[in-house]
Amino acid sequence: MSFTSDLKVKDSAAFITLAGELDASVAGQFKETVEQAASARPSKLVIYMDKLDYMASAGLRVLIFAKQKMGVGVSIYLIGCQELVKGTLEMSGFHQSVYMQDIYAEA
Amino acid sequence: MEIDNPLTRLNVTANLDSLSIIGQFIVDAAECAGLDKRKTYNLRLAVDEIATNIIMHGHEEAGLTGDIEISKEIHDDALIITLEDSGIAFDPRTMDMPTEEDLSTPLEDRAIGGLGIYLTINGVDRFDYERVNNHNRNIFEVKRGE
Repeated sequence: MSFTSDLKVKDSAAFITLAGELDASVAGQFKETVEQAASARPSKLVIYMDKLDYMASAGLRVLIFAKQKMGVGVSIYLIGCQELVKGTLEMSGFHQSVYMQDIYAEA
Repeated sequence: MEIDNPLTRLNVTANLDSLSIIGQFIVDAAECAGLDKRKTYNLRLAVDEIATNIIMHGHEEAGLTGDIEISKEIHDDALIITLEDSGIAFDPRTMDMPTEEDLSTPLEDRAIGGLGIYLTINGVDRFDYERVNNHNRNIFEVKRGE
């Protein structure tokens, strides 16, 4: 399934919706979306993951980039991760640095 | 690619567009071997990470072009996937793996590297590398059943 990465900025938050399969061939698209989001200087980044079926480490590296680009003060929320994608995030320790929620609720 | 007549061997060009073809080959091979969803996903991830390294570091950054040959062997107890390429010699097992401390470091202080090989080694029951006739051979084994 092809990959898509869509951005909406509302109030002071950036919302990205990911869908499909995120490997190294499409990680650049996700990174561009994060850069666009960062340029809006949001106070939080909310990423909807429920339609993302697969994520390689290239996707993890974009999440690291997002945190480092936006700064410590910008919280990252990962919403509705599928079980196997969540497994990768947890194995890599990312769940300690982001809010992982089934449904978005401001922390 | 037909499920009824699954390929045991496939050649793809060593570029990033081939990752999805490799991924489909793994999913089909795992189905033939009767692997469950989690083992299939983790095997695909393991192979994808190494294939990405072969393409980016073994070919593109080195200015080389070439193919990756991917093959499967289904044994009674295990599925074995092999990637073979003629890019720069590289044993992924020599890469630094993230430590427990690295994995608990906040994202804002994280180094970018090492996660791919970490996911590879944790995604399969055995990962091996051989250098044979000027080719890199990366071997992934997943036990069937359980």
